[in-house]
Amino acid sequence: MNQATIGYRVFQAFLVAFLVGLGTFIMVRVLPGDLAYRIAAGRYGYDLVDSVAAEAVRLELGLDGSPILAFLSWFWDLIRFDLGYSLVTGELVRDAIFHELGHSVDLAATALILSLFIGPPLGLLAGFRPGSIIDRLVLASSVVFRSIPHFAIGLVLIMIFSIQAGLLPVAGHGHPLSRVLPALTLALGLAAVSSRIARDAMIKVRESDYYLFGRTKGLSESQVFFRHGLRNVSVPIITYLGMQFVYLIEGVVVVETLFAWPGIGHSLVHAIVARDIPMIQGTAFVMGLMFVFLNALVDFLNRLVDPRERVV
Amino acid sequence: MKTLLDIKELTVSGEKTIVHPVSLQVRTREPCTILGETGCGKSLLAQAVMGVLPSELRAQGRIFLGERDLLGLIPKQRRAIWGRELAILPQEPWLALDPTMRVLPQVKEGYMVAGAVSGASAGRLAQATLSGLGLTDAAGKLPSELSGGMAQRVAFAAASVGGAGILLADEPTKGLDAQRWQDIVDLLLQKVADGIGLLTITHDIGVARRLGGHVAIMCEGRIVEQGPAARVLQNPVHPYSKRLLAADPASWEKLGGRASNGVSPVIKAHSLGITRGGKQLFKHQNFSIAPGEIVGVTGPSGCGKSTFGDLLLGLLQPDTGTVWRDGSHPPLRYQKLYQDPPAAFPRSITIGQAVEDLIRLHALQPGIRDTLMDELRLQPELLDRLPEQISGGELQRFALLRVLLLDPIFLFADEPTSRLDLITQQEMMNLLVRCARERQCAILLVSHHADLIGKVADRLLFLGEEAISRDAAFSACHQTSPREHPVYGA
Repeated sequence: MNQATIGYRVFQAFLVAFLVGLGTFIMVRVLPGDLAYRIAAGRYGYDLVDSVAAEAVRLELGLDGSPILAFLSWFWDLIRFDLGYSLVTGELVRDAIFHELGHSVDLAATALILSLFIGPPLGLLAGFRPGSIIDRLVLASSVVFRSIPHFAIGLVLIMIFSIQAGLLPVAGHGHPLSRVLPALTLALGLAAVSSRIARDAMIKVRESDYYLFGRTKGLSESQVFFRHGLRNVSVPIITYLGMQFVYLIEGVVVVETLFAWPGIGHSLVHAIVARDIPMIQGTAFVMGLMFVFLNALVDFLNRLVDPRERVV
Repeated sequence: MKTLLDIKELTVSGEKTIVHPVSLQVRTREPCTILGETGCGKSLLAQAVMGVLPSELRAQGRIFLGERDLLGLIPKQRRAIWGRELAILPQEPWLALDPTMRVLPQVKEGYMVAGAVSGASAGRLAQATLSGLGLTDAAGKLPSELSGGMAQRVAFAAASVGGAGILLADEPTKGLDAQRWQDIVDLLLQKVADGIGLLTITHDIGVARRLGGHVAIMCEGRIVEQGPAARVLQNPVHPYSKRLLAADPASWEKLGGRASNGVSPVIKAHSLGITRGGKQLFKHQNFSIAPGEIVGVTGPSGCGKSTFGDLLLGLLQPDTGTVWRDGSHPPLRYQKLYQDPPAAFPRSITIGQAVEDLIRLHALQPGIRDTLMDELRLQPELLDRLPEQISGGELQRFALLRVLLLDPIFLFADEPTSRLDLITQQEMMNLLVRCARERQCAILLVSHHADLIGKVADRLLFLGEEAISRDAAFSACHQTSPREHPVYGA
């Protein structure tokens, strides 16, 4: 990766930080309900909140002040990597996120690797015989798994593997096998798409002139596949991974909540319920940065696989 | 002479027969060339011999390679022949090279196929082969970094290193400029001299002429005539062969070469220079063109021929110098005719609609469309079709019609016939010349085809490094002094 690409990614990271910050800030302000009441409820419990407590919170956090000033001061803290304190627990947001991010990355990486073992191999298999039974089965299951939302896939998996078969834990984080079901839930959705990409890429490569030329040069079918097929098929699959991260990050929020996985998505949902603004902003900010980082990683991987120079 | 490949009564059929019984022999030291236009079935013939026909087509008859009938072999046995006994030089070298693999391994794997050599010595052999073809520096490059001619030589190396005794060359000169054209034909001749059997498929009469040996002319799935090249190409017997050979630009009557009539120019350019993609294409280029005049622009690929025309039209801005267009004509009368007709028409609306839209947009007389269609010999029923439903020649004539509707005073024709067949090309060029003379329209004609441009243009402009010497040579043989002299490095 050259300097221009890195520079571009850094610029992108700044832009993402700014826009995500602005977006979450506005959204939190326009959410229905009195901000001070919700924060107070988060701190003391819903039964114990009264207008006195809410007023105390309002004064303490300066919620009456100008929203523009509040935003600017938050953004100024942000670029110094000071994410502030949780309004609810008083914990440093940075520490909380750092802790949770590890769990999320663990889950997302497991899901991604799992999906790469499911999607592309099935896609290649289908691409070798377009129109065959395998191809149609892969198509049907990919439509099913992509169109069913995460929480539904997750619930079905819980019912089958945990409740019926009793093989895997329902939810939580303690057991080494706990990550299997949430990761599988995410992986199925990811594999649904990557199998299609792999299939179409395989068909295109197999129809290409260079694939035929490889054959007529005298290479065997497996030689042609490993020398001229695999690398060319990988390029679109890797490129598409970049776009799938949106799906992954969005999935993490739902799946972590469903499986009570103590990750960043789980805590984002809690933070939104409690109107814990620094937590919301911090989480969204880190997710945005992750997105930029992962896309840079995809760029890098693609460069390893595909020697052609591309213009950003 | 030994017969290497004996094709007997070979047919190719899908739902109906596409190639009718063809018999041909490829012998040592006698190149065999099949000459024909697009869609005549000549590429299918090559694919049938190789055994790579599309799955919906079937080959019948006999193809003897030595004692074996190829059509009697099971796919696995045929495949064992590929690269080792029978090799094919693919039609589009750029597409036939793996875009993500560097040149050396793509050539090297051909040696590994033969089985006798290890990886390291295959690498050395491949490097030596590339050096022998003047491609020493290309070994570490990717196909996208190669020029068309280099890609063709790399494909040539990759196809022939497996040691096959028979080489099928499918349109080996497609899209190459004059110098590269000659290089590749020489390479093929070298193979013949080495005792390799050569079967070439081409639409280019020049290739057939230069290869010599045995020539078969193919039309609509049949070989209408075959025999020694000297006889078939000099004294064709079949009416189609006669027509095809007469359409070779080298055999055309001279259409251009008119002396300038002293009319004041419509476009004048002074000291033009431009850099594109970091490369100085030309500088200090002067130019002028008068109504009714045809100026041919030629030069090796990538020398900026199309760029030059776009500069005159104002589609691009020069880095240095000025372009003056006669302001008494509206800008609409400066027009361009594109190389690839299907790309110049919207795909999903009928041609009639496309033409109608133009007439409405510029409030033209509806009657002139019919007059022009008569003139260009276009049938009215074509108007209801989509661009992909008519032939390339018809579509290019519609492109010309679309331009003529605007009554151009200057027309930049950018390789207008390079995608057309010979006979269609001749018709199109005749129309262009007529349009210049009758309508007093100045035409800037870009073509990589030296014969063609020599016959059509009144004057030539050479772009590229050999510009000065070639320009002088041309003026010497035409006894007219070109008014423009490109000056390089001054």
